[in-house]
Amino acid sequence: MSLTREQIVSALINIVGADQVVTEEEVLKESSVDRFRRFEELHGVYTQPLPAAIVYARNTNDVSQVLKLANEQNINIVPRTGHTATEGGLETSVENSVILDGSAMNEIIQIDPYNLQATCQCGTPLQALEDRLREIGFTTGHSPQSKPLAQLGGLVATRSIGQFSTLYGGIEDMVVGLEAVFPNGEITRIKNVPRRAAGPDIRHVIIGNEGALCFITEVTVKIFKFMPENNILLGYTLDKMKTGFEILREVMAEGYKPSVARLYDPEDGAYHFSHFADNKCVLIFMAEGPKAIAAATAEAIETIVAKHPECIKVDTRYIKAWFDHLNWDATDVAKERAEIIETKNIGNTTEIAANWDKINQIYETCIERIRNEIPDMTLVGGHSSHSYINGTNLYFVHYYNVVDCKPEEEITKYHWPLKKIIVEETIKAGGSMCHHHGVGKHRTPWIKDEYGSSYYILETLKKAFDPEGIMNKGTIYPGR
Amino acid sequence: MNVLVCFKVVPDLDQLSGSDWLVDGCSRVETRFVKKIINPYDESALELALKLADQARGKALTTNLNALTIADSGANLTLKSLRALGYQEAVRIEADTEPDFTPEKVAALIAAYIRNTNVFDLIMMGRQSGVGDNAKTPLLTAEFLQWPCITQVTAVEKDSAGTYKVTAMADEGTVIRVIEPPCVLAVGNAPSSTLRVPTLKAIKEQADLPVKTYAADKYRNATPHLPLKPDAELLNIEVVNRKRKGIIVEGADAAEKAQILYQSYLKGWLAEL
Repeated sequence: MSLTREQIVSALINIVGADQVVTEEEVLKESSVDRFRRFEELHGVYTQPLPAAIVYARNTNDVSQVLKLANEQNINIVPRTGHTATEGGLETSVENSVILDGSAMNEIIQIDPYNLQATCQCGTPLQALEDRLREIGFTTGHSPQSKPLAQLGGLVATRSIGQFSTLYGGIEDMVVGLEAVFPNGEITRIKNVPRRAAGPDIRHVIIGNEGALCFITEVTVKIFKFMPENNILLGYTLDKMKTGFEILREVMAEGYKPSVARLYDPEDGAYHFSHFADNKCVLIFMAEGPKAIAAATAEAIETIVAKHPECIKVDTRYIKAWFDHLNWDATDVAKERAEIIETKNIGNTTEIAANWDKINQIYETCIERIRNEIPDMTLVGGHSSHSYINGTNLYFVHYYNVVDCKPEEEITKYHWPLKKIIVEETIKAGGSMCHHHGVGKHRTPWIKDEYGSSYYILETLKKAFDPEGIMNKGTIYPGR
Repeated sequence: MNVLVCFKVVPDLDQLSGSDWLVDGCSRVETRFVKKIINPYDESALELALKLADQARGKALTTNLNALTIADSGANLTLKSLRALGYQEAVRIEADTEPDFTPEKVAALIAAYIRNTNVFDLIMMGRQSGVGDNAKTPLLTAEFLQWPCITQVTAVEKDSAGTYKVTAMADEGTVIRVIEPPCVLAVGNAPSSTLRVPTLKAIKEQADLPVKTYAADKYRNATPHLPLKPDAELLNIEVVNRKRKGIIVEGADAAEKAQILYQSYLKGWLAEL
């Protein structure tokens, strides 16, 4: 028989103490959702089951004990650190869930400049780590838009990526070792080595698990020398996204590694660049690293772009001014919330990835379908911001006015149909429906289509590591 | 009723980095590299006018909303967006000089346009812009027109067929006045006044329709006493250090910390008030 809410809270207090357990109703309500349901939340409407409690773990042992309890008593656990998820991964999909919050585990354990790695607890804000590293001339190389808010555990759990990924890679390329706790309380450590060929790379059981397999308690990432004095920014306007994709492909195919390689369509770009790009696409690069490499990379990019006469170079001070204000901090989030309430206009994003030969087709089809099929749209556009040897990502940006519906109907009237178009068109074209936000709870209907025959592997991971199904029900794996 | 809202597109000063403010040997701040926004007080005026029209529609009254800016063609996109939101007319007077530090000139042009058009009974605009920051334009416009002006306006409603109910902030709190037009309203910190967003469909309908543009010369003769030069000149910029030292209050629990905070810091400060 399941424990009652009161029994769950009492058992948690026995493990971690009353100070670490929060049960205030307003806090629980806010903790039942993430940014996916912020329209409902902003209107004081909470449609998800109320969690029983939020537990602030102080150490790995707390995490282990809480997970053991949950595993034995069949309590749904929602792992959390920075609370910046966008795809419903932090929603409490069943009654009496427990939010296991690692944000109080925020110690930077070791910075090792000789071996070029840093070890942090899961609740370490990325910004805090980055600031510490900058003081001694290093960087994580990881700069997602959420950098001022996100924390290491969540970033690894969602396979985060940053604005400099084309040079430094995604978080999966940065993580060298981990500590994680599995539902039965088992504490596992993966050691920090440059590489090993001792069987499958088990880091990838943990990286991107979105709290559906385990709780990440500690992360070790690579660090890099920080040489901003060598950075070279380049910016261009151009007419067609297709040309931009071709240029991105050529830069990658020729073997150059700019840290930033971004292509904006006119609609998405208008928000940032209307003061110089009048209804044009915008292509942006940044070359960085040692001076000679940065200079050679920038020179090569300029040569490649010069082959496309529609590209017009812009003063890099435009690009610098934009780039200096790209990240979102708490002030931006608060401002956005006020604007949504006042205007009933809300924006979301959906990020996908595909090979070079399919990306423009996906872009054009999705934009056209959204314009034609979704009502009350105020903006639909997109940009590519992470390129690879075989393809790139697309970050669709979609805003709409919420008209003639209750707050709780916003998702079904607008957000979900929008996402459906993008996900289905991407999968149909052979791409991936998730580039870096994770599956969350709102892309699970397509998870089997995403994986095809390899879903067997994904499904078996769940059966093996979370046989009782207590980890973040409905995330990655469709709810029952 | 015919409402004219005057607005200015300005550089988003929040997007300037610290180094952008300090340019040696230059008597102006370089703002052309940051994105442009509608001056926030003007944005409030534009939204309050839309709310006024919404409210009047509920009373079966017709409101003609008009927007005016003095700017180069970079403002056309904003003017078309305003038409997409329901402004019947959105007009631009071609700017031939830097208008930031010449409120007399701006106000005179606005007043001349209003006199020349001779249809407006209510003029709304933001109380000031972050760029010029002089807070003179609405007052000067009213003076040139010999109309009354209400400052720090936060809301406006159609009261009856011939009057408006205007809410404004004052030293003693909020003042509500019922006024007969014509009048100039200088909009201040109006709550819930973020400008609504036009749909793609509405924007598309406006995209190919030209923006009415007039040369400033058309109105210059009507304002013979315009000053030729700005009334202020940027001579120097210095950083005002407003950083304050943070102190983390140590205590056994929240109650003890609150006590220390009050006894050591707040009590003396409050006593001085």
